[in-house]
Amino acid sequence: MSQTITIDPVTRLEGHGKITIHLNSQGEVENAHFHVTQVRGFERFCEGRPYYEMPGLMARICGICPVSHLIASAKACEAVMSVRIPHTAAQLRRMLNLAQMVQSHALSFFYLSSPDLLLGMDADPASRHLFGVVAAKPELGRAGVALRRFGQSIIELLAEKRIHPGWVVPGGVTEPLPAAKRDEILAMLPAAYDNVKLALDAYKQIAGQFKEEIEVFANFPSLYMSLINEDESIEFTDGEVRLIDADGHVLDDGITVNTFTEVIGEAVEPYSYTKFAYYKPLGYPQGSYRVGPLARLNIVKSMGTPLAEKELAEFKQLATGPVQGSFHYHHARLVEILYGIEKIEQILNDPLILDKHVRATAGVNRLEGAGYAEAPRGTLMHNYKVDENGKMLWANLIIATGQNNNAMNKGVLQVAQHYVRDGKFTEGILNRVEAVVRTFDPCLSCSSHALGQMPLALSLVSASGEVVDKVVRG
Amino acid sequence: MNPFLPNCDRTMQGAQIRCLILACGNSLRGDDGAGPWLATWAENCFRAEPAVRVLARQQWTPELAEEIAHAESVLFVDCAVNVHPGKLQLVAVTPPANAPALSAHHLGPAELLDLSRSLYDSLPRSALLLTIGAGSLELSEQFSDAVQAALPAACRLVEEAVGRLLAGAAPADPPHCA
Repeated sequence: MSQTITIDPVTRLEGHGKITIHLNSQGEVENAHFHVTQVRGFERFCEGRPYYEMPGLMARICGICPVSHLIASAKACEAVMSVRIPHTAAQLRRMLNLAQMVQSHALSFFYLSSPDLLLGMDADPASRHLFGVVAAKPELGRAGVALRRFGQSIIELLAEKRIHPGWVVPGGVTEPLPAAKRDEILAMLPAAYDNVKLALDAYKQIAGQFKEEIEVFANFPSLYMSLINEDESIEFTDGEVRLIDADGHVLDDGITVNTFTEVIGEAVEPYSYTKFAYYKPLGYPQGSYRVGPLARLNIVKSMGTPLAEKELAEFKQLATGPVQGSFHYHHARLVEILYGIEKIEQILNDPLILDKHVRATAGVNRLEGAGYAEAPRGTLMHNYKVDENGKMLWANLIIATGQNNNAMNKGVLQVAQHYVRDGKFTEGILNRVEAVVRTFDPCLSCSSHALGQMPLALSLVSASGEVVDKVVRG
Repeated sequence: MNPFLPNCDRTMQGAQIRCLILACGNSLRGDDGAGPWLATWAENCFRAEPAVRVLARQQWTPELAEEIAHAESVLFVDCAVNVHPGKLQLVAVTPPANAPALSAHHLGPAELLDLSRSLYDSLPRSALLLTIGAGSLELSEQFSDAVQAALPAACRLVEEAVGRLLAGAAPADPPHCA
C-alpha cells in the first residue's frame, strides 16, 4: 500500500506552506510537493485605483521585502509616466533596496537557518531556534541581530518606517538625504563589516559538516536568472535581465521590462496557489529556472566592490560552472550582505548624494508600464495597465518565490528520496525536508498573499491516496 | 561598560535611558491599536523627559533586545485577549526560567528580557507589562467602546508606572488592576 507524508506547516519560513510526500507500495518516495496554501489577491485589489497609489498599496504585500515591491511598483509607474528619475533619487533607492536585502538575508541566515547550521539538522527541536544559537554561539546571535537592525535602521532613517515604508514614489523619492542621516549611516558601517565577517568565517568553518546535505539539497542543473549591469556586475535596482543555462552559457540577455513577459511564462499546478514561472522558449517545466542569491552569484562576473569581489571569486571555486546546490544559497546570502554594506558605503560617498533634486514629475504618457528590481529572494516584476486618466485596469506581479517554485518542489523530492526509507521518517529527516525549502528563503505571503496567520505542514500519502501520517508544527 | 553592547547607538541620543516604553499593536486592527495609541500619548506626556524613550512596533522582534539592554527599566504596553474588554492590568515581568521557544517574527516581553540577558548580559532593573483587554481586533481604525472608555485610566496607569520605574520600584511589586 502506498502512503503520503504531510508536513503542515513547514516552519521557519516567511509564510504558510505544506509538504506532501507520496510513497509507493514498496515504501519508496514516488513524488513530493511543496504546497503554498495562501491566496494572493493584490492584482485585483488595486483595479480602479489611481496608478500613483500603487507603490503604497504594493508595499503592503509583505513585511519582509516591502522595499522591493515599492521600487518595482514605482518603476512600473515611471514607465507609465515615461520619466527618468534623477541620479540622486536612483542612488537613494538603490541604498534603500540594499538595506532591505541586508536585513532580509540576516533574518534568513541567522534567525531561520542558523539553528540548523550551528546546532545540527538532528538537534533537539526544542532548542533548535535563535535562543539555541544564542546559547551556543552568542557572538553570532549578536551579529545576526545587529545586521538585521543595521538594515532596518537605514530603512527607517531614509523612509521613516522599517515596515511598509513610503518615501519611494513614482518619479523618485519624496525627500532628499540630510547630511546628518548620511553621517549616521556611515557611523554604523564598521560594526556591520565586523558582523558579516564573523558570519562568513563561521559559515566557512561549519559548511564542511554538511557534505551530505550539500549533495542532495536541490542539487541539480537548472537555468538561472537575475538582473545584471552592462559591465556584468551585480545589480539589485536597475540593469537588465540575463538568463544562463546549467553550463553557465548565456541563454538570453538584455531582457527588458517590455520583453519580460514575452519570454517568461507562468504555469499553474493544482496543489499550489503560487504560480510556476518558466522560460517560454524551453516550455514548462523544462524552462524552469532559479533566482535569488545563488542565481545572482552564478550569473555575475563581478560584484563591483573589493571585499565582495574576493568572496565571489572564492564562491565560484565551489564548482567549475554554475554552483548548482541550493545549500549554497546560505553562502551566497552572506556574500551579498557584504556587498550590500560596501555598496551602501560607496553610495554614501557619492558627491551628489545630498542633492536636493530627487523627484521627476509627469502625468500619464503611456497606457502600460512595467518595472523590476532584485528582491532578496530574486527578480521581482510589476506590470500595470491604466486608462487615460491613470486608473488601474490590470496588474500582474511575477514574484521571486514563484520563479523558484519548480526548483523547490524538485528539491523536496530529492531530499525525500534520499532520506525517507521504508515509509519512515525521523524528526531530523522531517527537518531536512523543511530545510531544503528554507535554503531558498521563500516568502509565501508575497508569492500568494493571504489574510491571517501563516504556518506549513508534512503528510505521508499511500498509493491509494490515504493520508497515513501527518505532522503539524506551528 | 558592557562589552557586548554597541557603543554607538543612534537611538540613545546621548542620554541614559532610565525607562523604555515599548508598545505593540496594529492601529488598523481595532483595539490592537491601543498600544501604539498609548505610545503616542506617552511620547507627548514625557516629551520633556530625555530619560524616557518610547517605541511602538507592530510586533516585538528580537532586535528590540538591544534597546532593552540599554534601558534601566522597561514598560511593555500591549492589548490582551484573555481578559474583559477595557480591563487594565499592570504586572511585573521577568525572563522565563527555561529557554523559551522562539518565533523570528514575534516575541513576548519575557522572551525579550531573556534575549537581552543572553545576548548582551544585560537585564533592566525592573520591567512591567501594562495590558488593556481588547474587545475587537477586526479591521478598523476605531476602538471598541470598552477600550475607548478605558483609555484615560490607561494613561494614568502609564504615568504612574513610569513614575514607579523612574523611582526605582522593585519588579516584584504586586499587580495592579483597573
